[in-house]
Formats: sequence, C-alpha cells, structure tokens
Amino acid sequence: MEVTVELVGEGERTVSVPADADYAAVVRELGYSPHEVTVLVDGSPVPEDAPVDADHVRVLRLIAGG
Amino acid sequence: MLVLSRAAYDEILTHAEAGGAAEVCGVLAGERTDDGTARVDAVHRAENVADHPRTRYRIDPEEQLAIIERIEDAGREVVGFYHSHPEGPPVPSRTDAERAAWPGYSYAICVPGDRPYLGSWRWTGEQFDREAVALRPE
Repeated sequence: MEVTVELVGEGERTVSVPADADYAAVVRELGYSPHEVTVLVDGSPVPEDAPVDADHVRVLRLIAGG
Repeated sequence: MLVLSRAAYDEILTHAEAGGAAEVCGVLAGERTDDGTARVDAVHRAENVADHPRTRYRIDPEEQLAIIERIEDAGREVVGFYHSHPEGPPVPSRTDAERAAWPGYSYAICVPGDRPYLGSWRWTGEQFDREAVALRPE
C-alpha cells in the first residue's frame, strides 16, 4: 500500500509498504529508526507497532538528547 | 554559523539558569540565509519531559508540533534547537549524537553559571560539526 508521509520540516513524500506493515515500517522506509520519530495520525501519536490504518501520516523527528 | 539576536541569546541563558540542576530545552526560530547561516529571531521554550531531566532532555511531540506550527504561522522557520548542560561539559554528549534526528539543523548547548557559555553544532546526520555563534546588533 502507498502512504503519503509529511515529514515535518521537510515536506511530503509517498512510501510503499506491505499491506500488513506497521508504522515502524513506514518510518524505516523514510530512513529513520522508530526511536528517532513519532508518527501522528489525525494529530495524535500512534504506536510504532500498530498496523498502518491511514493513507496520510505525519512523522515528527524527536528533539531529545542528554 | 548561528547568529542570534541579543534578546534570543539572553532568553536561552535565562531559561538555562532557571532550570537549576535540570536540563532545559527549546526551539530556535528565524531564517536561513543563502550562505547557510541560521539567524535566530525567536526562542520558544519547551518543557523537558525526559524521565531523568538532570542528564536527559526530550520535548513532548505534541508540544513540539504546536511550537513548530506557531513558528510557521509567524512566518519563520525552525533553524535549530537548544538545551542546557547544567554541569557541563560544553560539548554535545554521546546521547546527543545518538538522539539527533534533524540533519542540517543547529543544536545549541548552554552551560549556565557565573560565566555562562553557549556553543552550537550542526548535525550532519553522522556527527556534530561545531559552528560559530555570533550576536547581531538589535
């Protein structure tokens, strides 16, 4: 399936993932690891291991460190 | 290079001082010039929601998104981020490098105290490259 991803701060792109993919797979398609980002659907964070259930998501790279 | 207004510089130092032993963090807003300079016009404080705020920082994603939208609504762009190292060192930590996720953006680090310090590094995607920090006249 194709998912339109808005990478906040970078713009939109479309990625293809298997029909049974989870959001972590979408993130990896973007070149990020799941711990670096949060996926938002309709403005709310979704678990990385939840099956993809939206054709448009926003991916927010986290601001964190030590 | 990271160029800050005096007000932006003071705001970062004031925030870091107010944080005491805990790290503070926030987002730097302004514009990028053609030569890659990041000009900071506004500083947006954020809550540090890390589990161990004395040695870690993390901005809640929903607050982060709200800040970014506020910056864009004001006609500015995100040019970087800042956080404090209350006990030093005045350089990015290994955790900073492990958690950095915004290539091309400035990561400023403030060490508060009697002789406060503010340094900045650009994240290349692989490493932090030190950049000059300058104050511009108001």
